[in-house]
Amino acid sequence: MSLLYDEGQQAIATESRRVLDARSDKARLLGLIEQTGVIDTAWWDTAREQGWTALAAPEEHGGLGLGLVELGLVAQAAGAATAGAPFLTAGYGVTRALLAAESSDTTAHWLAALASGEATGAVAFAEQQAPLPQRPLVRFAGGKLNGTKHGVVGGAKADIALVLALSDEGPCLVLAELAAMTPPAIASYDPARCSADLTFADTPATLLLNGPGVGAAALDIMAAMAVVTAHEQVGGAEALMGIARDYALTRKAFGQPIGAFQSIKHRIAELYGLIEIARANAIDAASKDGTPAFFRAAAAARLSATEAYDTAARDCVQIHGGIGVTWETGLHLHMRRARSLAVEQGNMLWWEDRLVTDLDGGLE
Amino acid sequence: MSDLEAFRTRGHAWLESVAPTFGRDARTGLSVEDDLALGRRYQAAKFDAGFAGINWPTEWGGQGLGHLEKIAFDAAEMNFGMPNGYFGISLGMPIPVLMRFGSDKAWAKERVLAALKGEEIWCQLFSEPSGGSDLAALRTRAEPDGNGWKMTGQKLWTSWAQYSDYGVIVARTDPTVPKHKGLTYFWVDMKAPGVDVRPIKLAGGDSHVNEVFFDDVKLTDDQRMSPVGEGFGVALTTLMIERYVATDSAGFGPPIELFVDLAREAEINERPAIEDGRIRSAIARNYAMRAGLEAITRRAMMMMEAGMQPGPEGSLNKLVAVRSRQKLSELAMDLVGTSDLAFDPHASTKSDWATSWLNAPTGRIAGGSDETLLNTIAEKILGLPQDHRPDKGIPFNQIPA
Repeated sequence: MSLLYDEGQQAIATESRRVLDARSDKARLLGLIEQTGVIDTAWWDTAREQGWTALAAPEEHGGLGLGLVELGLVAQAAGAATAGAPFLTAGYGVTRALLAAESSDTTAHWLAALASGEATGAVAFAEQQAPLPQRPLVRFAGGKLNGTKHGVVGGAKADIALVLALSDEGPCLVLAELAAMTPPAIASYDPARCSADLTFADTPATLLLNGPGVGAAALDIMAAMAVVTAHEQVGGAEALMGIARDYALTRKAFGQPIGAFQSIKHRIAELYGLIEIARANAIDAASKDGTPAFFRAAAAARLSATEAYDTAARDCVQIHGGIGVTWETGLHLHMRRARSLAVEQGNMLWWEDRLVTDLDGGLE
Repeated sequence: MSDLEAFRTRGHAWLESVAPTFGRDARTGLSVEDDLALGRRYQAAKFDAGFAGINWPTEWGGQGLGHLEKIAFDAAEMNFGMPNGYFGISLGMPIPVLMRFGSDKAWAKERVLAALKGEEIWCQLFSEPSGGSDLAALRTRAEPDGNGWKMTGQKLWTSWAQYSDYGVIVARTDPTVPKHKGLTYFWVDMKAPGVDVRPIKLAGGDSHVNEVFFDDVKLTDDQRMSPVGEGFGVALTTLMIERYVATDSAGFGPPIELFVDLAREAEINERPAIEDGRIRSAIARNYAMRAGLEAITRRAMMMMEAGMQPGPEGSLNKLVAVRSRQKLSELAMDLVGTSDLAFDPHASTKSDWATSWLNAPTGRIAGGSDETLLNTIAEKILGLPQDHRPDKGIPFNQIPA
């Protein structure tokens, strides 16, 4: 599959970047992180208006029938803008599960609602420190869910959640409506994520998938979301590299721009290396969706993009010196986002481990 | 099947067919001289089979195919351990420059054919004791002498000079102008009187590089390949000829699979190393990094196939791959511990961790040091300022030593 963007894909990249550049407002984003339980509605309205929610949904469900490559490009633009509202990635995860399930009125309804952006989705796989528990503690029996999912991204605001639960037959994927629940948003270091612990108490849910394939299906959804996230991380890292470069060109010390000192210029050049490796992995993974090589490519994208964004956040602030740690300058928006994206969809430790399990003779 | 695919298949089939005669196993235990002789026979066979000068014009003895075909063949060839190292520089840089800048075309054509068949070898005499990264600081002098020139000086790190018939060289013809402006490009007969080649034994035990002394070596003006004072431009052309070459995300060290194999066998505190988090982390990080470099290369190939100019990120391969190979080799040696200390100085860097480790520094220095590459990325790609250069614009002979 091609690793080159075609004209349509290039247009998506340029347009999403242009729209977000025009509507980005650092003051609004800074305001968001002083509150808990508030999402960036302006961003979500933009996403709906631009059709980003529909990008990767099938045409028969009101989508545009495109895929991970296109969604990744929008995520990259969102990452550069530290855009709020985490539903683009999670909504896509839910969509994948709905498509993998036997089709019904319920699946059709939610697929259309997610594509239009009318409804928002969250993915609730993790429990305690396990991003993808093999034997979930949350139980599904008699059409009802019981138990707690921790730190569900967007969980405080989403309309539906895709939940990995344990039934009598083993792990299963179910869809729960969250309308009746009012989970409090967690006051985290990145409150715009609106993460929440979802505690189910005889909550009605619809079975989407069960049987021996559930583990692989959940892993595939996780990998797909990781690829979207990797694009978002690349966008954030690239934005930081640009900020660092511009600052190094204008800020002077000891009679010259600080960018003329190798300690600074090499730091930025190293970022370039990390970002280009992550970008190449992200594009490669997106192009391999649906092939047997997808998981390894997604893992490579996830690992390199996390390293790139974390390093860029660290180094960009360092290059700025004192001004970099002020609230106003806002580099901490990226610092916070870099860390949230690093722990959502499975952290580095989990991905390293799963990748090596795969390299050491395949997944169980 | 595309033409490129067909060519790749044909190349692979030919390589398979000659591997028993020339490949890794056939070379095991050979002296350098015997290996070079085998290499010359391999290069001749390659020429006869139509795989030499793949992307060169047919009038110069080449195959008239594209850059992609050449990279495809080189990448396949890399897997067989063929004795082609002696000709890499010769055919990679001096010969293409000769084709382009040689004044006597008939003579140049004879040389090109002889080099393509492995009969003659050319070296590139750039670096000096006073300048590696700073090429324009070179001190070898060429002074007018009758109708020609007389050259005196010393070159360093010249690969394969001891087996070379000819070389291309940059010398200073005017020390009264700033350093870049006083240089001129020549070719030189490596067997001429006054040329003295002395091999340098490297840390890994091999001696493929040399120091070369020139003592009043006579050059005719026909040997000049640039206008007087414009040699630096030609030298840069030389370095730009092959921007996209067949790369190796393993940095010419062992593949990651070999490390996984080792981790499966090794133990840490009586527990399997493959279950140790530090080892798993190293495997995963290296895998991700190499996958990224490979994706960069594949994307560049696709761009070239589509008639587009690949992006500058191709320059990352050498920087990133070699230094991570160095660290991974150290970790592999840690895993082995004292259980197998026997060292084979002739082992391949692609299959032996200790050899890979011992030779890795060369890869981080030759052909642009890590630091020089970082400067290039910062300045040429990211638009950051040049380093402070106190010798800028000052006549060469007034630069404080």
